[in-house]
Amino acid sequence: MNAEKKYVLPAGVQVRQEKFGLLFYNYRGPRLYFVPTGDLLPCSFFTGQQTVRDWAAAAAWRYKTSPERLLTRVLKLLALLEAKGLVHG
Amino acid sequence: MGNRYVDMGLSAPVNVTWEVTYACNLSCVHCLSDAGARRTQELDTAACKSMLDILARYKVFQLSIGGGEPFVRPDFLELIDHAHRQGIVTCISTNGTLITAEVARRLAHPLVYLQVSLDGATPAANDAIRGQGSFVQAIRAIENLRRHDIEVSINTVLTRLSFPELDQLVALAAGFGAKLRVSRFRPSGRGKQAWSDLNLSPSQLAAFSQWLSRHLEVSTGDSFFSVSTEERRSLGLNMCGACKLTCCIAPTGAVYPCAFLQEPEFQAGRLPHDDFGQIWHDSPVFASFRQLEIKSCERCYRFDLCHGGCPAVAYHTQRRLGLPDPECLVNCIRVRGPAAPTALEYQHVAGTSLP
Repeated sequence: MNAEKKYVLPAGVQVRQEKFGLLFYNYRGPRLYFVPTGDLLPCSFFTGQQTVRDWAAAAAWRYKTSPERLLTRVLKLLALLEAKGLVHG
Repeated sequence: MGNRYVDMGLSAPVNVTWEVTYACNLSCVHCLSDAGARRTQELDTAACKSMLDILARYKVFQLSIGGGEPFVRPDFLELIDHAHRQGIVTCISTNGTLITAEVARRLAHPLVYLQVSLDGATPAANDAIRGQGSFVQAIRAIENLRRHDIEVSINTVLTRLSFPELDQLVALAAGFGAKLRVSRFRPSGRGKQAWSDLNLSPSQLAAFSQWLSRHLEVSTGDSFFSVSTEERRSLGLNMCGACKLTCCIAPTGAVYPCAFLQEPEFQAGRLPHDDFGQIWHDSPVFASFRQLEIKSCERCYRFDLCHGGCPAVAYHTQRRLGLPDPECLVNCIRVRGPAAPTALEYQHVAGTSLP
């Protein structure tokens, strides 16, 4: 995983925020993925406007953690999502 | 399927069944909507677009569009274009009669998916239910759609006529590069009158359950969790998704828990005028539906696989919610009579969820 990447949703994939975290829908199926991220990543992250590193640097204070720890956590999550074809960077 | 996350309550449905019109150019004997003539109070184009805007705002991912026959509406293509512009996927159920080569060309879009209804693999079986000539027209529609590489499935309602032809239907679909989707016959609309003639016997349903477990490539639109076996657990829902993952909007804009419960007592509101968030989260109908518990099923070894089955079938056959689906696999096996299941069959059916 590369912290300098920006992530977007592939064609046919949608995401929305739910109480448990992110709910992904992939038109190509299987259709629904329940990802219990809580409020770790907002849906707006997947518009590809910021690199993961920039996002972590800006968001760390909200999670009361260091940018490095947040970055590690988010990169792990993005690797899983990318492996499922739900995001790409 | 993340049931525990669903039980936390979703912000909106992931899929909405939208019946766009009651008008239909066929008169299928089992029609769930009792479709035929267009009815007064159906939403006009502007109201439909307002409704689609609302669903897009709530991030509804997918519309399962039916009717009636959607393509009877002169503005239908305009409406699905409006949905696609907002990123909503459309799964359109059609009888295929109006899918000309030109309409198929127009439908080619990455967010569109077609289900063409065929209730048998032969004209004899299909046309007995859907009307003379409907088999040939449906096949022509599938050909037109596949020519434009549009994803298609053949949608078959399981009846006594289609049941013996399921293997042929699988082959027919495969020949077009399509999938077979088998839907449950329910006693709503004209299905109430046709129920005793067309519904499968318990032993046939038990046999169908075994057939389904051998055909994991066949989809069911989550309508057979009441009889599906352990092998299909990962393929879809193991519970009714009404008011939790999905709901239904009638041609008038009336909102119901599902397409098979379009009864006045289940109307939760009306779009585009009522607040959709309020309907979804706070309407008494939806709230009570979400709390529905089929207590008498909770000790059953299959409870984890079906959670009491389809409330709509239970309601239409017993006129009350909260009762078990009378056609669940346990009941089907129980009434099969002398050919009762062997211990081996029970193990196969129950999988690892035997107490």
